[in-house]
Amino acid sequence: MRVRLEGVVKRYGATVALAGVSLEIREGELFTLLGPSGCGKTTTLRILAGFVEPDEGEVYFDDVSVRGVPPAERGVGIVFQNYALWPHMTVFDNVAYGLRLRKLPPAEVRRRVRDALEQVGLVGMEDRTPGQLSGGQQQRVAVARALVLNPRLLLLDEPLSNLDAKVRARLRSEIRKLQQDLGITTVYVTHDQEEAMVLSDRIAVMRDGRVTQVGSPADLYERPADLFVADFVGTNNLLPGTVAHVQDGWAELQTPAGPMRGRAAGPLQPGQDAVLTVRPEAVQISDGGAGGVSVPGKVALAQYLGSLLRYEVEVGGGRVLLVDVSNPKGTPSYRPGQPVRVTFDPSAALVFPEDGRA
Amino acid sequence: MRAEAVREAVWVPPRPRVRVPGWVWAVPVYGFLLLFVVYPLVRLLGEAVTDDAGRVTGEFLAQFATDPFYRKALANSLWVAGGTTVGCVVLGLVAAFLLVRYDFPGRELWSYLTVLPIVMPPLVGIMGLVFVLGRAGTVNVLLMDLFGLARPVNFLYGWHGVLLAMVLHYFPLVTLNVVDALTKVDASLEEAAEAMGSRGLRRVWDITLPLLTPGLVSGATLVFILSFADFATPLVVGMQDLLAAQAYLNIVQFVDRRLFRMGLVVGALMSVMAIGFLVVARRAVAMREYAVVSYRAVERQPLRGWWRFVAPAFFACALGLAFLPHLGLLLAAFGKAWSLTPFPTRFTLEHFDQVLHLTPTYVVNSLRWGAVAVALILVLGVSIGWMLARTSLPGRGLVDSLVTLVLALPGTAVGIAYLRAFHTPLLGITLTRSWFVMPLVLAVRRMPYTVRATFASLLTVHRATEEAAASVGASPLRIFRDISLPLIWRGVVAGALFSLLFALQEAAATILLVLPGWETITVGIFTFYTSGTFGQAAALGVVLVVLSSATLYAIYRVTGARLGGLFGSGGG
Repeated sequence: MRVRLEGVVKRYGATVALAGVSLEIREGELFTLLGPSGCGKTTTLRILAGFVEPDEGEVYFDDVSVRGVPPAERGVGIVFQNYALWPHMTVFDNVAYGLRLRKLPPAEVRRRVRDALEQVGLVGMEDRTPGQLSGGQQQRVAVARALVLNPRLLLLDEPLSNLDAKVRARLRSEIRKLQQDLGITTVYVTHDQEEAMVLSDRIAVMRDGRVTQVGSPADLYERPADLFVADFVGTNNLLPGTVAHVQDGWAELQTPAGPMRGRAAGPLQPGQDAVLTVRPEAVQISDGGAGGVSVPGKVALAQYLGSLLRYEVEVGGGRVLLVDVSNPKGTPSYRPGQPVRVTFDPSAALVFPEDGRA
Repeated sequence: MRAEAVREAVWVPPRPRVRVPGWVWAVPVYGFLLLFVVYPLVRLLGEAVTDDAGRVTGEFLAQFATDPFYRKALANSLWVAGGTTVGCVVLGLVAAFLLVRYDFPGRELWSYLTVLPIVMPPLVGIMGLVFVLGRAGTVNVLLMDLFGLARPVNFLYGWHGVLLAMVLHYFPLVTLNVVDALTKVDASLEEAAEAMGSRGLRRVWDITLPLLTPGLVSGATLVFILSFADFATPLVVGMQDLLAAQAYLNIVQFVDRRLFRMGLVVGALMSVMAIGFLVVARRAVAMREYAVVSYRAVERQPLRGWWRFVAPAFFACALGLAFLPHLGLLLAAFGKAWSLTPFPTRFTLEHFDQVLHLTPTYVVNSLRWGAVAVALILVLGVSIGWMLARTSLPGRGLVDSLVTLVLALPGTAVGIAYLRAFHTPLLGITLTRSWFVMPLVLAVRRMPYTVRATFASLLTVHRATEEAAASVGASPLRIFRDISLPLIWRGVVAGALFSLLFALQEAAATILLVLPGWETITVGIFTFYTSGTFGQAAALGVVLVVLSSATLYAIYRVTGARLGGLFGSGGG
């Protein structure tokens, strides 16, 4: 099913939860709403579910407005953040509840519950109550309950946030595989950018009730639309300064660490405050200077992460620059306190106008 | 993997149903509250400032303010209520600290027993005390026989006796509230203070007590308002110069219209003052509401040395005193022609035969009104609790305040207000002449316990649990039946049982509203006792204590002994 939101506004008293959100979610894709808490992502999900009606704007399921349609009639399956399993019912009863409400014959109910439980790998757990399950198992029951009615749209509200790191990583891939097997249109809400990157076909980054950018994980990472996305998605170095010169899509910046250069990612005027961003993996560390942008610094910290060696280098103006060296062999070559030069190719750097918040 | 099976299954739309807008459910609830809470109260307040001809006048208020007798009554009332509150806070705090923080012989047993005084309403308590400590009670007879005292010692007659009876009955309300608050104090908060050198009482004063304030204040407010409004207990020991007693006496006499009017004025003033106390208490609590994120309980310390025996001794004394009236009650109920001896010389079942067999009206009526009241309370109280916890209907805040207000309104004032508001026909029914007014007034007065219990239980059920059911097609009523109710019924039943317990013990509004044939146990006790038929009064007292104990036992069974939080007057 395709979903379309057009100019959706939602206010709670004086607070504006959504300030005009428009989105298109394609048939069969896993679409993630990503943003910090309070950005409006959960409100958007609740509007799709039908728990909240928008004050302005429309929501279309396959080009049909769903205004006034109650949750149960929208054909959505929902997995809640805390699972919302009914503690007084067994696993079987939790999954079967919606089927029984529809007065399906008992044999049909049993068959469909079994299919759904098989799908999430919980066969044999039918008679347990939620309290007797681990967090990961509860999460699977919630998924089975959401899928058993064969919804047209699956909504997941931070479904992994209550789990520990290992279980989270495993369930993340299971959810993705299941979604691809079923080909079900899915909207996934999370504040965890890594989770969003791993899972999604496309991501909408939200902030203050607005969508700032929609795109594939690679789009967001490589071509962030603004400073907020550049900062929020992935790890990034942010170096504030003043624009010295703009020409042919390139901007020169005067920063406390020294002059720098990068691709202009927005309208820039000389004299304006701006921020240069460059990913840690695009920065090199060396003893002597090389081409491109090169500034002196001093190693503050070296972190060995196995596949990665991450340096924190102090540059002028009290700023710290992260430098990632992949596939390091053995001990770090640079020690804390050692003077070095950090270098990057200007084409890897983006210069954004300062938006006063990042 | 059975992806195909699930993929091929058809989306089954939910069964169609008629949707009723939410406000339709709210209308009867709002109507009930308007008619049976707001209207009588407004009527009562209005009567205080209008004369017989319906003109607005400040004459009666001025008369109240200038009459030294009423001023004295006001001072006495505040004194009794304040004294009761201080006594209850001291006893309640000590008991709660000992039970939560320390281990000593018999702690579990004491923690059960400490709630028991609730089964004996002060009216019965003071009567039981009179049999033991009164002029011709056991102790005075013994003292006169053994030491040749010429005159009996006055243990009871006066404010000290009233204080004793009330403190002994009400201190568990403070204990329960403080135990509840104290178990939620995070150990690390006190440890952090201790690490900075704050120890012992200093730490309790700086850290623990402020954290307990909401629980303590709501318990104390309730005690203050209840003792302020009680007229039956003081009258038993002949104390008439109290506001509540004056309101009652002025209203039940039908000779002097001016006195009757002054009864209305006193009733109205008591309501206004109760509302004032409540507002002040809420302010105090609101400033000290701390969110508990997560907590680790403070570890219980064993008491050492002779302290091991001080704690049980404290409970033995407090509860021993609290059980003294039971002794007196039993002696008087089973004693035959008991007078001038320390204990009855002969025993009989005659009094019980009277009140249970020959004229069972009192017991039957109490149970009948109680049952009807609880039915009303369940319908209304659960609806209101649900409305407060789960909806954003307009007027929600007002309903919340009204429910708390009902808890604070003195029974005397409610009785008077009903007498004035419903003595004229309403839709062809004169309510004060219909038996229905008895369960109705009980339901209104005791409903807050059930509202609060429902509300608190619903708060522990996450909204998403219900939304999940809505998303698979359950209607609101269905959600309530299948999801909410199974998760909250224990709380609701406990609340309803508390409503029943205090409905059985109600001895203010009902005494004012009662007509011949409607008498309840408490009315019986009051009239028997004040007319000198002590044996039957005591027998009815025993019956009431037994019924109350049975209700309390049922509450324990239902809740698994997790009380507390139900009695507060603040928060919510």
